Amino acid sequence: MKKKFVCKLLCSSLLLLSSTVALAEDKALNVYNWSDYIAKSTIPGFEKESGIKVKYDVYDSDDTLMAKMLTGKAGYDIVVPTSNFMAKQIEAGIYQKLDKSKMPNLANLDKGLMAQVAGADAGNAHGVPWAWGTDGLGYNLTKVHAILGKDAPLDSWDMLFDPKNVSKLKGCGVSVLDQANDVFAATLHYLGKDPNSRNPADYQAAFEQLKKIRPYITQFNSSGYINDLANGDICLAYGWSGDVNIAKHRAAEAKKSYQIAYVIPKGGAPLWFDMMVIPKDAAHPEAAHKWINYIEDPKVNAEITNEVFYPTANVAARKYVKPEIASDPTIYPPESVMKTLFLLKPIPADIIRLENRLWTQLKTGR
Amino acid sequence: MNVQTLERNASAASRQQGKGFVEVIDVVKKFGDAVALNHVNLTIEKNELFALLGSSGCGKSTLLRILAGFETATEGKILIDGEDLARVPPYHRPVNMMFQSYALFPHMTVERNVAFGLRQEGVPRNEITERVNEALDLVQMRKFAQRKPHQLSGGQQQRVALARSLVKRPKLLLLDEPMSALDKKIRQQTQFELMNILGKVGVTCVMVTHDQEEAMTMADRLAVMSEGEVVQIGEPTAVYEFPNSRFSAEFIGSTNLFDGVVVEDEPDHVYIESASLPVRLYISHGITGPLGMDVSVSVRPERVVLSRAKPQQPYNWVQGVVKDVAYMGSYALYRVELGNGRMVTANVAGMVLSQGEAPSYGEEVFVSWNESSGVVLTK
Amino acid sequence: MKKLIQRWLPNGRRTVIGIPFTFLLVFFLVPFILVVTISFSQQQLGVPPYTPLTTLKDDVYSIALNIGHYKFLLQDDLYFATYISSLRIALVSTLLCLLIGFPIAYYIARSSESVRSTLMMMVMLPFWTSFLIRVYAWIGILKNDGFLNQFLMWLGLISTPLRIYHTNWGVYIGMVYSYLPFMIMPLYAHLVKMDLTLLEAAYDLGAKPWRAFIEVTLPLAKNGIIAGSLLVFIPAVGEYVIPELLGGSDTLMIGRVMWDEFFNNVDWPMAAAVTCAMVLLLLVPMALFQHYQAKVMEENKR
Repeated sequence: MKKKFVCKLLCSSLLLLSSTVALAEDKALNVYNWSDYIAKSTIPGFEKESGIKVKYDVYDSDDTLMAKMLTGKAGYDIVVPTSNFMAKQIEAGIYQKLDKSKMPNLANLDKGLMAQVAGADAGNAHGVPWAWGTDGLGYNLTKVHAILGKDAPLDSWDMLFDPKNVSKLKGCGVSVLDQANDVFAATLHYLGKDPNSRNPADYQAAFEQLKKIRPYITQFNSSGYINDLANGDICLAYGWSGDVNIAKHRAAEAKKSYQIAYVIPKGGAPLWFDMMVIPKDAAHPEAAHKWINYIEDPKVNAEITNEVFYPTANVAARKYVKPEIASDPTIYPPESVMKTLFLLKPIPADIIRLENRLWTQLKTGR
Repeated sequence: MNVQTLERNASAASRQQGKGFVEVIDVVKKFGDAVALNHVNLTIEKNELFALLGSSGCGKSTLLRILAGFETATEGKILIDGEDLARVPPYHRPVNMMFQSYALFPHMTVERNVAFGLRQEGVPRNEITERVNEALDLVQMRKFAQRKPHQLSGGQQQRVALARSLVKRPKLLLLDEPMSALDKKIRQQTQFELMNILGKVGVTCVMVTHDQEEAMTMADRLAVMSEGEVVQIGEPTAVYEFPNSRFSAEFIGSTNLFDGVVVEDEPDHVYIESASLPVRLYISHGITGPLGMDVSVSVRPERVVLSRAKPQQPYNWVQGVVKDVAYMGSYALYRVELGNGRMVTANVAGMVLSQGEAPSYGEEVFVSWNESSGVVLTK
Repeated sequence: MKKLIQRWLPNGRRTVIGIPFTFLLVFFLVPFILVVTISFSQQQLGVPPYTPLTTLKDDVYSIALNIGHYKFLLQDDLYFATYISSLRIALVSTLLCLLIGFPIAYYIARSSESVRSTLMMMVMLPFWTSFLIRVYAWIGILKNDGFLNQFLMWLGLISTPLRIYHTNWGVYIGMVYSYLPFMIMPLYAHLVKMDLTLLEAAYDLGAKPWRAFIEVTLPLAKNGIIAGSLLVFIPAVGEYVIPELLGGSDTLMIGRVMWDEFFNNVDWPMAAAVTCAMVLLLLVPMALFQHYQAKVMEENKR
């Protein structure tokens, strides 16, 4: 669920014209994954082990992937949509069921997480998690403490949704993901409603709640906020776990005088998985199965987490993950927190439209 | 006001003609190091049509642009009706110009073009209509009032341009090469029309032209200019008959020039010896200058007589061979080659031609002229 | 032989016209017809994400045109507001381009001939760099800790950074920057052609310089102004990149709404309907303008 704008533009402008150059030989595999999401050794390792040549393309938004997949004949054997997008695409019938007998390494997967994913993919029939993450609050701790005092309820959604708190932070900058789906889910949850509600009235209620804090939101942003947070331009961000952690590392590297922190609010937050799936029209399903099995090899899997700071669902890999990452509760939340997280599920088209319409209304103040 | 009153005013103005209505006093114009006008002095009378004549680059256009206010003189003064115009911008001068290209505004109708100047002055609308109609009547263009300039012929455009420059009743009207954009055929007729209109209105006019015929036809007086200086000022006939320099003589009409040395100078005559002639040149008026002075003698082609027999007079003749005969209609142009290779041009009147006496190509002839036909040029 | 050539000549002419004609047909008209068809179909989850217009069932060939999307366009005031907002932003950008471009074009047209080509070269120089990269560069200039704010603060003109990035001001700056050359070029072409004696004539007839400018220069540059304004206005209405990169979240433009329909809502028919409506809204005034121009030309010929 990472986003970068350049590619969003370039990919989509090429979208309708490009016919993907797929490798034609049997010993080939075409992978389409998020950018900056893989270890350097992963592909060479697979090619050496299997003798299959990998063509690896990247994208930066689920929208791009969705459009490409729905256009048809994308020419990929493995794609990695986010769980809620995957669910819709499964519904559209564009992915094939996995032959689990070909992938013994699936035994390494965390049963609890897989049960979560099953909410978007019944019986885990179609997808295997590549990595996962949460939505939460990113803080410039130093600044927030200076404004709200040491005992501010940083681990509560009240920091964002209660106008009392957020109004005080307006001066130092408040950023919210420009993702209707994520923000509405969190708002519904904050109001005690089903975050994946199908009731339009619930969305109206969430909209009313968001309108109250709208005056204090200084930007809606899904990628630039990483820099803004790292540079001290904003002090509160509703963002993705990995992004806030990147900002935290950057600020530390630049030896800034302030501290950045990622917090999963008490009572639960959106949870998402990026899922490996095989399109129905894949030319090399055999190779695709081999790839998934290879990725779930504990050592291969741990190498990815070590390089990109995202956790995976592979339990067996946990012991190969660097200790400082494995022990970071914002990367691997403890069991008590995990239980509170809720998975974003697909919602019907009319609710998506309503959501996006309200979102536009919220942003433009209309 | 209608055409009649315009005319009446004009004639009233011409009666009280005064001297020195426009005065150009010691004007110098430099563009960087180049001197475009070198101490020019001119006095133009009221209601006079004054022509500035010269070849391109002689400074005549620069002088016109200084009068219009588009250029500023480096030194010197310009007075119009006694008012010093040095500091007056073009849009405040009582001067209007008819441009060489006419410069009609292509996006406006004839009517709006003519009204333009009046609108700038804030003349009331009904007066504008009246005066525009009057001006268009004057040039007989009223029925084209709603046309755009590109829908008019060259002659019509010129008349609109004239109406536009007259409608503000300027103290001084400037005409920049008024005929150059017209076909040769209609030029002559247009010249008379233009003079006719200018005469009716009675306006002081300065016209710039490189065409000496045009200047001769139209101007009351003219100034011959060369290299930024005024060479000669005078009425066209005077300048033609008595040029004061080789430049004037050659520029106004064509002429035959004989270089020579003064050998006898009396109050009533002068003798000049020239290497081109076997006999002396004799001119029946004296000059002021020392004996032995180098001079040129100008003889106009129409003053030259051709004969088969040797002339009686002991002066002003030379022998040659007819090399060229060009029939120009009312006269024929002869070119006679002298012994030393020089060419002499002679106009032979049509009457002589019709009598069958005219010499023909290759014939040996005598070229002669009488004692009052030569003009001595000292510079 | 001559006959053969003559017979071939009009053919050659036809070829010359035919190539761009075919190009437009294949790469403009056909895709546009596809877009129109999609706009009358129904959204569905599948590949492709819209239903076909025609069905053949029990030997009955039926065509179903769904006008629901167009109805929705009229019902939801978002679209109307977006059109108005797009038109407003495009209009303001065009006016700004005109205000800035005219003096530049005027200056270039009145420069000496040797300087002119250099200056025009400088106007066109930015085209050597990708449009996207140039807009990106503006982020670096306009953002809160960008060059502009740092410079202004260094000068001591402001104490807190100006908020330009992510506002409509950012959009205007980006638009004016990107489209200015399209305004300058036609203006320059008209101004450089202008006969300067017309201005002298105006002065001579008593017009002060500013009156001469308004009554002579401006009307004569009218076609240049119209051409330049259309060249700026039309792409500006549909502009996506600049409002997306430099604009705020409340910058409402058609391009962004289309993006939302296409990607966020995965509603291709609705996106197609928005597109068709935009083309219609732009095409009608342009056709009227063309018609008017042709009429004026005709009159002038007579």
